[in-house]
Amino acid sequence: MKTQRAADIVVGCGIAVFGVFILLASISITGGAAHRLPPRTFPMIVGVLLLLCGSGLALKSWSIRGADFAIDWPDREGVRTISVTLASLACYIALMSPLGLPLATFFYLVFSIWYLKRSKWLTAIVISLITALISHYLFIRLLGLSFPAGLLFE
Amino acid sequence: MGFSFDYLFQGFAIALTWQNLLWALVGCFIGTLVGVLPGIGPVSGIAILLPLTTVLPATSAIIMMAAIYYGAMYGGSTTAIVVNIPGEASSVPTAMDGYEMAKQGKAGPALAISAIGSFVAGTISVIALTFFAPILADFAVVFGPPEYFALMFMGLSLVISLSGRALLKGVISMSLGLTAALIGQDPLTGAARLTFGTSTLNAGVDFISVIVGLFAISEVMINVEQRITAINTMKIDNWMPTWADIKQCTGTMIRATGVGFFLGLLPGCAPSVTTFVAYDLEKRVSKHPERFGHGAIEGVCAPESANNATSTAGFIPLFSFGLPTAPSMAVLLGGLMMYGLQPGPMLFQTNPQFVWAVIASMYIGNVMLLVLNLPLVGMWAKICRIPFYILGPIIVFCAMIGTYSIRFQGFDVWVMLLFGVIGYFMRKLGFPVAPMVLASVLAQMLETALGQSLLISQGSPLIFFTRPISAIFMVLALLSIGRGIWSQVKAKAPEVVKDDAEY
Repeated sequence: MKTQRAADIVVGCGIAVFGVFILLASISITGGAAHRLPPRTFPMIVGVLLLLCGSGLALKSWSIRGADFAIDWPDREGVRTISVTLASLACYIALMSPLGLPLATFFYLVFSIWYLKRSKWLTAIVISLITALISHYLFIRLLGLSFPAGLLFE
Repeated sequence: MGFSFDYLFQGFAIALTWQNLLWALVGCFIGTLVGVLPGIGPVSGIAILLPLTTVLPATSAIIMMAAIYYGAMYGGSTTAIVVNIPGEASSVPTAMDGYEMAKQGKAGPALAISAIGSFVAGTISVIALTFFAPILADFAVVFGPPEYFALMFMGLSLVISLSGRALLKGVISMSLGLTAALIGQDPLTGAARLTFGTSTLNAGVDFISVIVGLFAISEVMINVEQRITAINTMKIDNWMPTWADIKQCTGTMIRATGVGFFLGLLPGCAPSVTTFVAYDLEKRVSKHPERFGHGAIEGVCAPESANNATSTAGFIPLFSFGLPTAPSMAVLLGGLMMYGLQPGPMLFQTNPQFVWAVIASMYIGNVMLLVLNLPLVGMWAKICRIPFYILGPIIVFCAMIGTYSIRFQGFDVWVMLLFGVIGYFMRKLGFPVAPMVLASVLAQMLETALGQSLLISQGSPLIFFTRPISAIFMVLALLSIGRGIWSQVKAKAPEVVKDDAEY
């Protein structure tokens, strides 16, 4: 998937398979009455569109020869940074319920800021602490939103 | 119900209450901030904050959201001029001449003319909105489900056709947006669809999660990949433009306002498109086109004026037809629906106080933004210096808060993360994001209108071609699709999208 043409072929095939999946899933949807739009119609239309356009994209890209260009994928360091960023966000989401919003926010921000700028660990702690306290007092206490308060604040 | 000064004055009376003035000011401030900060655009800014406004009355909340939107249009020029990083795609042409002016020591006048141009264009466009929107709403009162279906179909087809040679990718993007929106219960029968027997999916996928993921999270991923760390900015000493500068830009402001406003009425013609058109027009009419790209002040004024004219013009189809023309408008439409307000012609009849208060607030907001942007220009330029290692995690935190507070379900945040990854790959692989956003917001209305139309016609799809207004929309939609297919057939290179509709 280094070039646009190769990527279009692979993604087109993937989209077509996804279209078939949606189409099959739509068949099992039941309900509807005479002269009414059955609930499975729209998902089926979408499945057909995905199948046709995915196949079309793959076939068209496969048939094109000549002009092509490289996709601007990140280098190894970029891939690692993005992966760690996404993993830390996933941990943040997963930890929010057991730890609560303020504590999960604190840990997430400390780690993320430190990871993106290793030399600034003190900045990371100060900003994270302020944001965590704001998240508790503004969103949970003042606005009364139903965020999990967590171990420290319950 | 046409235009009436009584309604407008009533709107001003509501908009001028201290609470609404405060929320308009907060919206203008946040909007400018969103525009100034690279890595967060108006769509993600509004989408993140929308759920948090549920503590406010509907009028105050929409006044604030609208102010964030047009405020972001003002603020986007700052980073473009001072540090050559456009805050949004619509500020790219501003950077071409703005940064050159800054390098010549004229950053102040460039920032000031962009604020003045934005103010003039914004105000002229609000006046046009005041008179046009009720007239169009009167026209749209006769719309039934077939007309609405045809109108939304045309809107989607126009947005897709603007994908240029990447038509297939535009349709795929739209279909993926529809797929996300179809998960959950059927709006007409209540039947479960694409839920695979799970109760979590039964409640459906909220479009705010989709939008925040597509815009905010994917933007953070792109910035993290590019390792944007710190931004150095130059000192701004004198921010007042000369009379000669203003005189030179008077015609530019009027022309760019016209271009931005009229193109802004069309679905898909977001500021990122109209600013380039206005810049190009100005270069063509200039006696010295060679100055463009080397610090021509008209090159800053034209895109910034068009930018604001377009953003205001987008409210006309939104209020009159309930049709969003761009992702930001789609999020605002979602905001209106969240408050139980049905945008469209009946909005002027059922909620005149709301709609006129929002329109009146735009006059006030434009003045606030001029005040915020002219004397405080140095402060905004300093804000550009917030490094991304702080800004990125804070954006993610805001996105988390905004998404979680829609329904207080962790599931929505996982959806946000998933669509963040999807958005990242869509950008890398040249898929336009705008059709997906519009489809995810319009899906339910589109399906309901289709269902009701077929009920009226006893199952015959010919109803869309036998009623004159819907027939016109359908023909325009088919022409737009035909044009897209034609350019697709002619293409002899891999599919690429030139420019997405809006960030």
